[in-house]
Amino acid sequence: MFRAALRSLGQHRVRLLLTLLAVVVGVAFVAGTFIFTDSLKQSFDALFNAPQPDVTVSANSAFAPAGQGGGPNASSDQSPTIPESLITPVTAVPGVAHAYGTVTANGALVLGKDGKPVGNPGPPARGVSWLPDASINSISLVSGRAPQGSHEVVLLEATAKLAQVGLGDEVTIETPGGQVKAQVTGLVTRGIGGSDGGTLTVFDLPTAQRQMLGKTDVVTSIAVKADPGVTQQELATRMTSALPKTVKVETGAQRSAEIADRLQTAFGFINTFLLAFALIALFVAILLIFNTFSMLVAQRTRELALLRAVGASRSQVRRSVLIEAALLGVLAAAVGVLGGIAVSQGLRLLLKVFGADLPSAPLVVLPRTIVVSLILGVGVTLISAYVPARRAAQVPPVAAMRDEVALPTKTLRVRGILGAVLIVIALFTGFSAMRHLDDNLRATRFVGLSVVAALIGVIALAPILGRWFIGLVGAPLRRNAVGNLAVENGKRNPRRTAATATALAIGLALMTAIGVLAASTKESVAAVVDDTIGADYIVLGANFQPFRPDVYEAVKSTPGTSTVTFTREMPISVGDAQGVLTGIQPDKFGQVFNLTIESGSMKNLLPGDAIVDSDTAKKLGLTIGQNVPVDYPSGPGVLIVRGTYKPAGPITGWIGSIDTLTQAGARELDSAIYIRVAPGSDPQTVKSSLDKTLSAFPAVKLQDQASLKGQINQQFDRVFGFIYALLALAVIVAFLGIVNTLALSVYERRREVGLLRAVGTSRSQVRRMVVVEAVLIALFGSIVGVALGLIYGVLFRKVLESVGISRLSIPTGQLALFIVLGVVGGILAALWPALTASRLDVLKAISSE
Amino acid sequence: MTSAARAHALTKIYGAGDTRVTALDSVDVEIAEQQFTAIMGPSGSGKSTLMHCLAGLDAVTSGEVWIGDTELSTLSDKALTRLRRDSVGFVFQAFNLVPTLTAIENITLPMDIAGRKPDPEWLNTVIDTVGLRDRLGHRPSELSGGQQQRVACARALASRPTIVFADEPTGNLDSKSGAEVLGFLRRSVDEFNQTIVMVTHDPNAASYADRVLFLADGRVVDEMFKPTSASVLERMKAFETARI
Repeated sequence: MFRAALRSLGQHRVRLLLTLLAVVVGVAFVAGTFIFTDSLKQSFDALFNAPQPDVTVSANSAFAPAGQGGGPNASSDQSPTIPESLITPVTAVPGVAHAYGTVTANGALVLGKDGKPVGNPGPPARGVSWLPDASINSISLVSGRAPQGSHEVVLLEATAKLAQVGLGDEVTIETPGGQVKAQVTGLVTRGIGGSDGGTLTVFDLPTAQRQMLGKTDVVTSIAVKADPGVTQQELATRMTSALPKTVKVETGAQRSAEIADRLQTAFGFINTFLLAFALIALFVAILLIFNTFSMLVAQRTRELALLRAVGASRSQVRRSVLIEAALLGVLAAAVGVLGGIAVSQGLRLLLKVFGADLPSAPLVVLPRTIVVSLILGVGVTLISAYVPARRAAQVPPVAAMRDEVALPTKTLRVRGILGAVLIVIALFTGFSAMRHLDDNLRATRFVGLSVVAALIGVIALAPILGRWFIGLVGAPLRRNAVGNLAVENGKRNPRRTAATATALAIGLALMTAIGVLAASTKESVAAVVDDTIGADYIVLGANFQPFRPDVYEAVKSTPGTSTVTFTREMPISVGDAQGVLTGIQPDKFGQVFNLTIESGSMKNLLPGDAIVDSDTAKKLGLTIGQNVPVDYPSGPGVLIVRGTYKPAGPITGWIGSIDTLTQAGARELDSAIYIRVAPGSDPQTVKSSLDKTLSAFPAVKLQDQASLKGQINQQFDRVFGFIYALLALAVIVAFLGIVNTLALSVYERRREVGLLRAVGTSRSQVRRMVVVEAVLIALFGSIVGVALGLIYGVLFRKVLESVGISRLSIPTGQLALFIVLGVVGGILAALWPALTASRLDVLKAISSE
Repeated sequence: MTSAARAHALTKIYGAGDTRVTALDSVDVEIAEQQFTAIMGPSGSGKSTLMHCLAGLDAVTSGEVWIGDTELSTLSDKALTRLRRDSVGFVFQAFNLVPTLTAIENITLPMDIAGRKPDPEWLNTVIDTVGLRDRLGHRPSELSGGQQQRVACARALASRPTIVFADEPTGNLDSKSGAEVLGFLRRSVDEFNQTIVMVTHDPNAASYADRVLFLADGRVVDEMFKPTSASVLERMKAFETARI
């Protein structure tokens, strides 16, 4: 039987090729995901081999060290500092060879020739101090020498390349402490091996302190080298008991473990995220393989019957089909692993296009990747071939003798009942989700359940729906003989049509749901900007980074402005909850920003007073007048709750006066400047004056409401674009499915096509017949997909309302485009099968079996 | 008497080199109008090839083939298709009908493809002659083998072609159904002046024809007018003995 299976594989080469391709795409996606993340991990392993301090002393605060933040609060990312004078007690600890103060902070923008910051907005632009001891410095010189004095810097190689400067060239660095013009004296690499996408500027310690921290008597950490023979752990223990509780003592090993831990989590997330899309593609592939094997079995009915007639048992016939599937699976998985290498590079490229620059990495193909790919490839193929194999075993031996054999086909009643039950479940869970909107997690779970039930329900009902749909949509085509034939062909094998169409529907449903969420998110953001921002212009950090306070002074004295006010931000933590404290000028803020006060008042915010958004207040159980103990990066403090406001857009969390922040030790860096144009002044004239004023400050950007919306939308577009690109793979697999189904259908019906040709059907009419059938299938899949996606996009949006997606927006144009794309894809998929059909030799077709 | 179709020095060669087979060897035939012609011959005699060449289904190696006033060997695929659609009717041994179409849709298929309306009066006549009025809405799978062949015959006649080719039309039928189909073909010649060419190896089927052409080894070796089953059988036996 094994040989028979092998032969059969060889004979149906072309037909299996497309099936193979579907499995390959799915497996390659899975393998590619693993290879991609494994390779990334490997590249970060270099980090642990790089030299680093034996012990590091830093501020003991709940806040992440500089540059490790990111996300919405990146702008409030301020580096907790410790007094430089701590070096004396540190050095006094027995076993310390040397101790160096070091600075690491975000916000050193390297300016290019055009005066604009180089590099991607997003990853940190770090400014650090040079650590003179190479044995504990994770940064190593590639060329040149260390910086000395306030007019010398060393740049990361990649950064220098971006800024188009080399050794000896002059470069301008925009820092929180003002612009620095300096000579590049050296180029360095990091242990990470390449770039994490951010830039790196190295100053000598005093310059770094002045420019990055604004104070010359503090550092962000103290790097310690141990005496020979003293272990990191011993030294850390001694140091912990010798130093005050306000500092944290960590060994090199601990820091490595911490970083490793953080990377693990990050990669785990990326891996899961990518695998989810890979599995969607594989799921679509299952439908495709199922179709192919059903058709292969149907075509080989006589051959199988002959096997049965000459004595093969049912289980032997079944096994022969399954062996065939297994061989195909192994082959597909093997090719898939190779394809995975390409996919991993593709993912890297894709991420780069969407803004994430990743370190260059060696290619890592772990045995685990190969094993998982093989299991998935073979498993998926076997699962989808099982039902056709069982059906093959039911072929009666006598079928070999008959001319026309039809396999017993089950009625669609079972599927109909199953589908109906699932749709009822989907409706029920969908409504349940709507009843639990206040409990976000629960609602999400209900919607998730509903999606799964609806998806399987639709797959079950698809043959019935498809027949009905094609009959209905095809009705006007029936007046034409070719159209009539195409419609009949589409209805002919409802299961096959359904499996093909649902494969497409799944991909498009996901794209539609994402499309609805994307449009709604953007519209909600726009609404928030419209509703809250009363200012005509806003100055923001080019990268939403905090900027120097002299920007405010310059803006204020620009002619044509009336109200000009600034905000500052600093991280705080209340109990276990991390948050942001925004400092405002209470007398002016209300004129540029519409906050809806829900209780209490924001008037007379004295130092130590704060208002808080009602969500946070509810979560923490805060009441007006309550004294709340909080932690600032500089140490503990107390805030008095004076009111609550409706959470709105760019500002959430705690709001207090600038004085409150200053007293809590916040750095003098602004997060935004809000500007109103003076009555009677021409906004355009004011804008050009402002542009002129700000040209001296490359780290900031002048925004109006429209450009602000545009900039925020751009960030969303990146994320959604990335998701679309991943989903496109599933859609491509689905189109392969249409090609496959049509090719096999044409093969099955070649006698019929021959007959049609014999009685006078022209080649172009045959082509049209196949194309129309494809369009009907694709249209069915597209409409079902878009409808499903629309329903669940709307449902998910409703669930996410409480987290800020307040508006529903349905991108009708985009959804129409999806349907058009589906139809165009259907036509493209039909080209080859249509051509094959029209080129069939009439005589061979009518005389062949 | 004019001819509905004719072939001159018709040669058909399959393959090349060692596998070269001469299926038709310089055949000259003339199919008379309004006659029922049967082509007979043992397996491999070239009778089906002759029919396929005459009907424009197969390209000839050399020689000329005419249907009415049209010479086929120079026609493009498009023109041949149109010719088959408008001037030729076909009845095959099996798989004659499109399974997704009803009986009536199958009957009008060539005209539907051409985008022409069938002549309702003629269509009615044809339907009544084959006796299928009550089965018109049925799909082929709901019809018996004999009924299916009668639908095929109706289709072949419905567009009033110059000539109808039937390839073993009764090969798959029991004798009663076969007789019905043959009787119908006979009537269409007698009553509607249709020209029919039928390939068969059944002497009984050939006895319905006006004229029988005998083929052997790619040549026309004999012909017989007003055949009976007995006379055809006799003639065929002579072939068998000659071959031995």
